[in-house]
Amino acid sequence: MLLFLQTTINGLVLGGIYSLAAVGFSLIFGVIGIVNLTHGIFVIAGAYMAMALFAAAGIDPLLAIPFIGAVLFAVGYAYQRTIIDWAISRASVEASLVVTFGMAMVFRNLLQLWFGPDVQTITPSYSFDSVAIGPIRVDMVRLAALGASMALLTGLTLMLARTHFGRAMRAVAQQPLAASLSGLNVRRIHGLTFGVSAALAGASGAIIGIVQPFSASSEVAWTLNAFIVVVLGGIGSPAGALAGGLVLGLINAYTATYVSPALTQAMMFLVLVLMLLLRPQGILGAAYGESR
Amino acid sequence: MTRPLALLLLAAAAVATALLPQALSPFHIRVLQFFFFAAATAVAWNILGGYAGYWSFGHTVSIGIGAFSAAHFGLIFGHGAGPAGMILPVLAGGAIAGLFALVIAYPLLRLRGTYFAIAMLGVGQVVAELANNLPVFQGGIGLFLPSPVPDGMAPERFYYYAFAALLALCLVISWAVKRSKFGYALLAIREDEDTAQMLGVATERYKIAAFVLSATLVGLLGAVYGYSLGYFTTPSVFRLDFSLNMIVFALIGGIGTLFGPVIGAALLLFLTNVLLSGFLDIHLMITGALVVAVILLMPGGILRAGATLPWKRRAKKEASG
Repeated sequence: MLLFLQTTINGLVLGGIYSLAAVGFSLIFGVIGIVNLTHGIFVIAGAYMAMALFAAAGIDPLLAIPFIGAVLFAVGYAYQRTIIDWAISRASVEASLVVTFGMAMVFRNLLQLWFGPDVQTITPSYSFDSVAIGPIRVDMVRLAALGASMALLTGLTLMLARTHFGRAMRAVAQQPLAASLSGLNVRRIHGLTFGVSAALAGASGAIIGIVQPFSASSEVAWTLNAFIVVVLGGIGSPAGALAGGLVLGLINAYTATYVSPALTQAMMFLVLVLMLLLRPQGILGAAYGESR
Repeated sequence: MTRPLALLLLAAAAVATALLPQALSPFHIRVLQFFFFAAATAVAWNILGGYAGYWSFGHTVSIGIGAFSAAHFGLIFGHGAGPAGMILPVLAGGAIAGLFALVIAYPLLRLRGTYFAIAMLGVGQVVAELANNLPVFQGGIGLFLPSPVPDGMAPERFYYYAFAALLALCLVISWAVKRSKFGYALLAIREDEDTAQMLGVATERYKIAAFVLSATLVGLLGAVYGYSLGYFTTPSVFRLDFSLNMIVFALIGGIGTLFGPVIGAALLLFLTNVLLSGFLDIHLMITGALVVAVILLMPGGILRAGATLPWKRRAKKEASG
């Protein structure tokens, strides 16, 4: 029973991080309708930036989030306004899939050249502390990571619901033509959406950096995770990403504890395929008819 | 092109391929050997991705399964000696890759477009992880395949001819598919699957057949590739860049055309292996950048570049409008 509880807690904590890492992917999927295979790169780039800041100036990764977010926001905005926009307008939405795949290769190569191919970790001072809740122990880093994830997800939810920019984003997602007829600059909103997505991915990267080891080649895994989260939870909403992330975290933790740590990816993928076949719109809905 | 001329060209190409190793250094034979292998995988990928429009982003899974199956076949039934000894394991590699495709085809081919592409990316990752982590498959410690090269022959020449023959096989099959009713059904699926189904095309069966055929060919290639390595572990056959290459070669040469994948492979491998052989670190970057450039400038690939280059399209639009 204790093992079960501990596993559940671990899974939920991990799930919170998955949610944050996937929410930007979900946003782009929902608003622009493209699958961004560069997403994992933004996550890993955030982790590397946090590592570099920590090593150079001793800045705590969690405190570095605003800076990392700002830099990646600019990168994401520029990326959408140039390459992604060209791909959509000149070729097709499918072509944008290949373009983002190609760009992921380019960025991955750049990261490898810059930081080397080795697996890295960030170890802040509180790395080895843990909090006890009764007999259950939670690592301090994981708790901090979860807290930061939830704060950012809440912030995004409020932004989407309450601000002008959030409303504009939802309008563009629902009816791009009607949105532009109402005076919204759809291309600019697309660029800003990409920026927000990249910033959130970078923030999640900084958090992932203190919780898990990472390397440039783990970007594929984070892109796939984001895709699974979105399929599980439903497209386009922070709540969907949260639901999908928590489910994925639990699957991961239970499989690692009760089946075998070697099978976590396989199990996550099995759930993905089952979900696509049985309920392609995700747990919370937001149907996307193209899936079958 | 008239038929006699085409046959003459084919015969000339065959003779040139047979004689070329006499004139080349071992390094260049090796480059050509890899070119034949890579071009053949792209031709096989094209049967599913080009004709039917189902882009697999994880086709390297068949290379891995082919190589692993051949090695395990040898472990169970004993490795044969000489070139004849590799025939059965290689066939087993192709068969098991095909069987695996058949098993996953039904659920996966219900997905379309992006969803299928990413599901295949996932299949590639997961099978590689299983092969690496489950002790039965021995992917972590590695597998051996005995050298089938006859005495007195240089290995690179042996594999040069082996992969050349497999490329020819893939081209013949791809050509036969394209000309047949099967091929027309796949094109109909690519252009509009729902309409094709409504008009009575058995889309499900044709899609599965194309998937299995494509995976079997790549499995055969993977098994021979395993032999050419001699000793391999999971990361040496389940390679993400192989998956990418198949797409990129087809895309650059002209997706859905017979020779497009070969032309794309020739061009890209010449660029990376010959012109930029001193810059191994940035191959991934060059490949990625080329894909992006091709998609943005000529979405139809080189064979259709005439119609799709941006300035040509503009001229056409002005002429018609």
